[in-house]
Amino acid sequence: MILARNVTKFYPKHDKPALHNINLSISKGEFVFLVGPSGSGKTTFIRLLLREILPTSGEIEVAGIDVVRLRSWKIPYLRRNIGCVFQDFKLLPNKTVFENVAFALEVLGKPRKIIEVHVPEVLKLVGLEDKAEKFPHELSGGEQQRVSMARAIVNRPPLLLADEPTGNLDPSTSLEIMALFDRINRLGTTVLVATHDREMVDSMRKRVVALENGQIVRDQRRGVYGEG
Amino acid sequence: MRVSWFLKEAFISLRRNLVTSFAAITAVALCLFVLGVFGLFILEVGQIISSLESDVEVVAFLKDTATTQEINDLQHKIFNWPEIDKMKYVSKEEALKRFRKEHPDLTQEIGDVNPLPASFEIQLKDPHDVEKIAKRLEKMEVVEEVKYGKKYVRNLFKLTSTLRRIGLLFIILLLFVSVTLIAITIRLAIFARRQEVAIMRLVGASNWFIRLPFLLEGMIEGFAGSILASIIIYLLWIFFFPWIEKALPFLPFEMSYILVFQIIFGLIVFGLTIGALGSTIALRRYLKV
Repeated sequence: MILARNVTKFYPKHDKPALHNINLSISKGEFVFLVGPSGSGKTTFIRLLLREILPTSGEIEVAGIDVVRLRSWKIPYLRRNIGCVFQDFKLLPNKTVFENVAFALEVLGKPRKIIEVHVPEVLKLVGLEDKAEKFPHELSGGEQQRVSMARAIVNRPPLLLADEPTGNLDPSTSLEIMALFDRINRLGTTVLVATHDREMVDSMRKRVVALENGQIVRDQRRGVYGEG
Repeated sequence: MRVSWFLKEAFISLRRNLVTSFAAITAVALCLFVLGVFGLFILEVGQIISSLESDVEVVAFLKDTATTQEINDLQHKIFNWPEIDKMKYVSKEEALKRFRKEHPDLTQEIGDVNPLPASFEIQLKDPHDVEKIAKRLEKMEVVEEVKYGKKYVRNLFKLTSTLRRIGLLFIILLLFVSVTLIAITIRLAIFARRQEVAIMRLVGASNWFIRLPFLLEGMIEGFAGSILASIIIYLLWIFFFPWIEKALPFLPFEMSYILVFQIIFGLIVFGLTIGALGSTIALRRYLKV
C-alpha cells in the first residue's frame, strides 16, 4: 500500500534533511504507528505521501501510484485513495455534521442518492448517527474528530492517514478514537497514524515505526513507543 | 456535472463579499462605459473622417501652352498609375463655365480672354498617397501647378492617428484597472473560503472543480458590469443622439441601432473576458491546486 525507497527530503535553507534515506514498506490491511518526537519527520512523511511536497530524492508509491512522477493535474486522483485526519479536525464551522461529511462526496461530483446512503452509514460507523444535524461547535473534541474520520472514510479510500489525531484530546477520548481507527482497520482499510502519544501506542500493540532526526531507528511488529 | 451547484457556490461567494463585489462591478461598468462611449466616438469620427478623406482631391493645372497631344499623353500616363482611382479632364472652357455658374456676379469683368487654366481633377484610391502623387505631378512638363488641401490633409491624418492612440492608451489603462479589481475580489473570495478549498484539495476534488466557482464569480462580475454599462450607453444614446444630430447638422453623422447593438454586444463579450482574465490571474497567484 505504501512503499518508500531511499527517500530523502531537504527543506530549503535547512542544513539537515527532514528525512534521510527512508525505506519503508506497509502492506495492504496493516495498522502502523509512526512515532517520534516533534521535528523527527513524521509530518514530512505524511505530506510526501499526499504529494503536498516532493522528496529531494527517492521513490514513493501509494496505492500503486508512483507519487513522485505523478503529473500535478492527477494529484486529486491520488488523494481520492487516501483518507486524511488531522489534529485540528479541519471541519467547516457553518456546515452541519451531515453536510461536512457529505461535502467530501459532493466535491467529487457524487450524485445525491449515493450521498444520502453513504453519509448515514459512515456516521453510524463512528457512532454519531444521532448528531447529524449538529454544528461542529456543538460537539466535543472527540466527537469532532469522529466527524473528520467519517469524512475521511466516506469515499472508502484504501488508505487512512492520521497526523496527531489525538493531539487535542484527553486520554480517555484518545483511546476511543484509537478504538475507532482499529475498527476501520478491521474493515480492511490500511491505517497509518503519526503520533507521539505514548500511552495510546503502548495500549494498541501494533506495528511501530520510530523516527528520529529524519531516520528510521526502529521498526517493530506489535511494538511499544519505546524508551526515551 | 451539476451546473447549478457551481452557480450556487459562485453567488454565495458574491453575497459574502458584497462590498468588494459591488466595487468590482462598478469598476468594470465604468471601464466598459468609457470603452463604449469611446468606441462609439471612434466609429463616428472614423465615419466622418473617411467621408472627409474621400473628398481629398489633387488638382493639376496645366500650362496654357500645352498641346492637345501632350494633354492626351499625360492623361494616359497618369491614369496608368496604380494609386489613381478616378480622374477628370477640365478644359479651359469647362472651367470658365463652372466659374460663371458659381460666381455669376463676376463674369462681366472677365471679358473675352479666358484666364482660367485647364486641369486634371484626380481622386486617389488611398487619400494617404496624396502628397506622393502631388510631387510626381509637379515634375510633369505640361503641369503648371498642383493643388491639394495640403495642410488640411496633414492635420486631418494627424488628428485621427492621435485620437486613435490616446483612445487605445485610455482603454488599456481602464482594462488594467478592471482586471486588477476583479482579481482582488476573487482573491478575497479565495481567502474567505480557504478552509473549504483546503478540504476540497484534501479529499481529492479535481482542480477545475475547485476553480470553477471562482472563475464563474469573476465572470458574473464582469457580465454584471457590462450590462450596467450597456444600459447607461443605451439610455444616453436614446436621449442625446437626436440632440447631437441637430446641433451638428454639417457633420455626416450616421448612427444606427445596429451600431449601438454591436457596441453593446462587444461590451458584454469584453466584460466576460475581463472577468475571466481577472479571476484567472487571482487563481494562478493565490490558489495553488
